[in-house]
Amino acid sequence: MMPAMVFVGIAFLLPVVILLTEGLRTADGWSLARYLTFFSDGLSQEVMLRTLRLGFGVTLASAIIGYGIALTIANASALTRSRMTALFILPLMISPVARTYAWIVLLGRTGLINKALIGIGLTEEPLRLLFSETAVFIGLLQLFLPLMVLSLTSALENMPSDIIPAARILGANWITIFFKLILPLTREGLIIGGTLVFTGAVTAYITPAVLGGSKVLMLETLLYQRISIANDVATASVIAAILIAMSIVTHSLIRRLTSGKRSS
Amino acid sequence: MMRQAGSLILALAMLFLLGPFLIIAGAGLSAGDILVFPPQGLSLRWFIAILDIERFRVSFLLSLELAIVSTGLSLLMGVPAAYALARYDVPFRETMRTIITSPVIVPAIIAGLALLRYAVIPLGLPVMAALILGHTALVAPYAVRVVSVSLTHLRVDVEEAAILLGTTRSGAFFRIVLPNIKNGMMAAFILGFITSFNQVPVSLFLTGPGISTLPIDMLGAMEFVYDPSIAALSTLLALLTILIVLLAERLLGLSRYV
Repeated sequence: MMPAMVFVGIAFLLPVVILLTEGLRTADGWSLARYLTFFSDGLSQEVMLRTLRLGFGVTLASAIIGYGIALTIANASALTRSRMTALFILPLMISPVARTYAWIVLLGRTGLINKALIGIGLTEEPLRLLFSETAVFIGLLQLFLPLMVLSLTSALENMPSDIIPAARILGANWITIFFKLILPLTREGLIIGGTLVFTGAVTAYITPAVLGGSKVLMLETLLYQRISIANDVATASVIAAILIAMSIVTHSLIRRLTSGKRSS
Repeated sequence: MMRQAGSLILALAMLFLLGPFLIIAGAGLSAGDILVFPPQGLSLRWFIAILDIERFRVSFLLSLELAIVSTGLSLLMGVPAAYALARYDVPFRETMRTIITSPVIVPAIIAGLALLRYAVIPLGLPVMAALILGHTALVAPYAVRVVSVSLTHLRVDVEEAAILLGTTRSGAFFRIVLPNIKNGMMAAFILGFITSFNQVPVSLFLTGPGISTLPIDMLGAMEFVYDPSIAALSTLLALLTILIVLLAERLLGLSRYV
């Protein structure tokens, strides 16, 4: 008990806390000046908005696709279901660097997508697909979709299996069934999956670094740039505080939802 | 109709999630000199070539060492922590739990920067030691969680019976508890190893010229390497991971602990 706590406290938390104080200090003592400068700066606002936009966008897209997949898996036999689950866990284990690199091959100027577009005559010049927000969106969705699928699949497994046929017999259509039955009954799974995807997306580094480049910055790539180009620790500290705050909010949401079940 | 639509969604999702690996494998198998898919002829030359690239070999070994040491250390601290949390009425339990799981909440890039500024620079801590600190802290919450899961499957009365029969508390821990959570510990080791080996953000600020982990080296090389070598290396890593995960699933039922 004690060793683990002392270790994490000293080797991990303490340095992070010191870093956070640097953003609250100026030459004349404690102040919020760094925060005001950061929030009023045009580039920071753009990066923050983009980070939130991508976070919510990827979460929404993965929820829509995730329900499609989870509902299909839920109908399968137990064996197929566990095999499918394993298939969705597998990509999560593979190096995100390797997973992101694939999109360079696909989206590059001479990549498969551009070749196909030119081939069918939709465009004559190759499109600039890499280093765009779309590329980052696709990369993030591929990285985090499995988390949503796994979370929704387990939520659907806990749903009584005969209520959908029952609702069908009583004449409900699929839209009613989804919004009146499935959505409310899998709400927790959706929120847990959603927060996992959202936190993953807004705190991503590799995807925006590789697929967004220096033009399409997100909060973490901005932090890296501020340090490596200008050694601007104060700004890095402000960004760190924003990221940690977002992470704490989403994690406490998950904890509140799962704490009731833990005891069983 | 619904069923067919469902299968279509599933097939498209699989294509989206797994297709890129096929593309990367295809590009890595190319006989040509530039990174393209479909490949220009098939050959294993890039898979052989990457084994000869000195910097990848060095950083691969460093990543391997880092992952083994960090995961080992995190288990050494995580197993007693998980045991104490599960069995004893520790004071400030929630505070302790929060501290131990904090590395999951704080984005790793921030921890890396903090370690660089307040440990490596002022204290003159060697880079490798800082990497081990960062990775161990990052893996520790997973170790605690996975071991906790397997502890919940172990009934307390088995230990109590052993103590009634004359074993000491520590004797019961080493002779009853540890053998029973062996699978959970192995699962924790594999998950921790993979987490550390693939980890980028915490190492980002800590690595530098001369000392680098494999994923950081690959990220750097992507900016100037336009031949299929990185695709071949990515494929190799993916295959290795799949092999480890499948083996672990078969032997330990890894997915129970994820």
